[in-house]
Amino acid sequence: MGISERHIAAFAVLTIFGAAPAFAYLDPATGSIIIQAVIGAVAGGLLYAKLFMHKVRTFFGRKTADGASENTES
Amino acid sequence: MINPDPGSFRDPSGRVFIQDGRVLRAIYEMGRDNFEAVQKVGVLDALIAKGLLVEAETAEPGLADNMEPKPAHLLSHPLIPFISYPYEWTFSQLKAAAVLHLELHLEALRANFTLCDATAYNVQFRGTEPVFIDHLSVVPYDEGEIWAGHRQFCMQFLNPLLLWAKRGVVPNSWYRGSVEGIAPEDLAAVLSWRDKLSFTVLAHVVTQAKAHNHALKTETKEKIVKVHKLPKRSLVAMLEGLKSYISGLQLPGGRSVWSDYAGDNSYNAEKRAEKHDFVAAMAGSVQPDMMFDIGCNSGDFTQTALDAGAKSVVAFDFDYGALERCYSRFSQSKQSVLPLWLDAANPSPSQGWANSERASLGDRGKIDAMVALAVIHHISIGRNVPLDMAVDWLIGLAPQGVIEFPNKDDVMVRKLLASRKDIFPDYTEEAFLQHVGSRAQIVEQKKLGEDGRLIVQYRRT
Repeated sequence: MGISERHIAAFAVLTIFGAAPAFAYLDPATGSIIIQAVIGAVAGGLLYAKLFMHKVRTFFGRKTADGASENTES
Repeated sequence: MINPDPGSFRDPSGRVFIQDGRVLRAIYEMGRDNFEAVQKVGVLDALIAKGLLVEAETAEPGLADNMEPKPAHLLSHPLIPFISYPYEWTFSQLKAAAVLHLELHLEALRANFTLCDATAYNVQFRGTEPVFIDHLSVVPYDEGEIWAGHRQFCMQFLNPLLLWAKRGVVPNSWYRGSVEGIAPEDLAAVLSWRDKLSFTVLAHVVTQAKAHNHALKTETKEKIVKVHKLPKRSLVAMLEGLKSYISGLQLPGGRSVWSDYAGDNSYNAEKRAEKHDFVAAMAGSVQPDMMFDIGCNSGDFTQTALDAGAKSVVAFDFDYGALERCYSRFSQSKQSVLPLWLDAANPSPSQGWANSERASLGDRGKIDAMVALAVIHHISIGRNVPLDMAVDWLIGLAPQGVIEFPNKDDVMVRKLLASRKDIFPDYTEEAFLQHVGSRAQIVEQKKLGEDGRLIVQYRRT
């Protein structure tokens, strides 16, 4: 899957929410800044889905030993 | 007046000094507000209590008077027994350091603080346990701020681990050369399309590389910094995602060359027992606070030295498989052993800014003793280092120690000479003893079993 400049531009548009300059002694790289909001949003979705699936599994797995079904990586 | 540590200059809010067996951290005006905010809510104490951050206390007020510029605050920390760098760590050590970094960041965010950088050099090992050492990296978090250390985290933790796990390529030589880690643009070029079939790799490596290259062409940074915002829940999700992904990374299967060396080498049990006794006698009489084990393998003789009275050991080997086993062994026993990768013919140099930001192997504090068992033939014959120079280097590492000398009848030496011309007429026991004797006092010497290896204990005069 190739990522074109249009995709990059779309990321940039998607992530314009407001001004939040982060000035640290370390210069955050532009490429990293551009993609963080998108990665963060997707990662948020993945984490939510994972927690949701965990809840579903715990609900259905309740009859088995409690600890056994909780052994998922988090 | 004392000089600051040459590796502590990047963040102008403070600097670090080594004095009287402890670390002093000066916090200057530039760092005062952040530090006082952190102190006020006790977030550093909470991180210390969880074992994530090295201990700190306020230094005696008088100490700051001799300092120029005068610090706003002065902290005192215990010394890390031996400073090491990520390009000397094994896969498991780099992974443990990465997970520690993410855990510390997540813990700080719970208290509404964040980390202003993500350098792997801020993680050090006490024995096998990683710990974060830079208290000034913890700063107040502003809702919506981006993760300033994201690219740095990728370069110094994620990318070397990915190169190792996905391609089976040890990143350490590359890492040592670049010092700042491996750029996403470079890693993306060497990963296969299959490696890229994961959200973490696609997002943090491939997309970041593309975005970075794109940004270099278009000079829009000022605008970009102002408009980008990352909600806290997204930052937390990103860190949690990385933590989960990195925790699951594994080395590709396969035995390393020397991993089973200790198990199937040419040694019989009796000779090994004699060798253990010899090492134990040295460690028992010297009682070293810090000992080097050069060529540690999976740590059998390190264990012997610890049992005999060595307090802390840095265990070096050239073989990553052996080091992994050593790390796993002493992680389980929770003993003070730091396994590190070493090519004896090319030890870590002084490097970074002004060639002094990262110290060379020989310049990281006092070493009280060393053992070099089944090593010298690898240096002398394996790497063509004349015997006197090999002895010189080994004895230079510590004032007292043990060196084992396998002669040309030894099966391991024969193996090294099997496919090459013997250009080592000076590689003899007599020459070895003479070289040791001219540099140190030979406290004891012994032959291990009949026709076995020569082993000596020396004390520098």
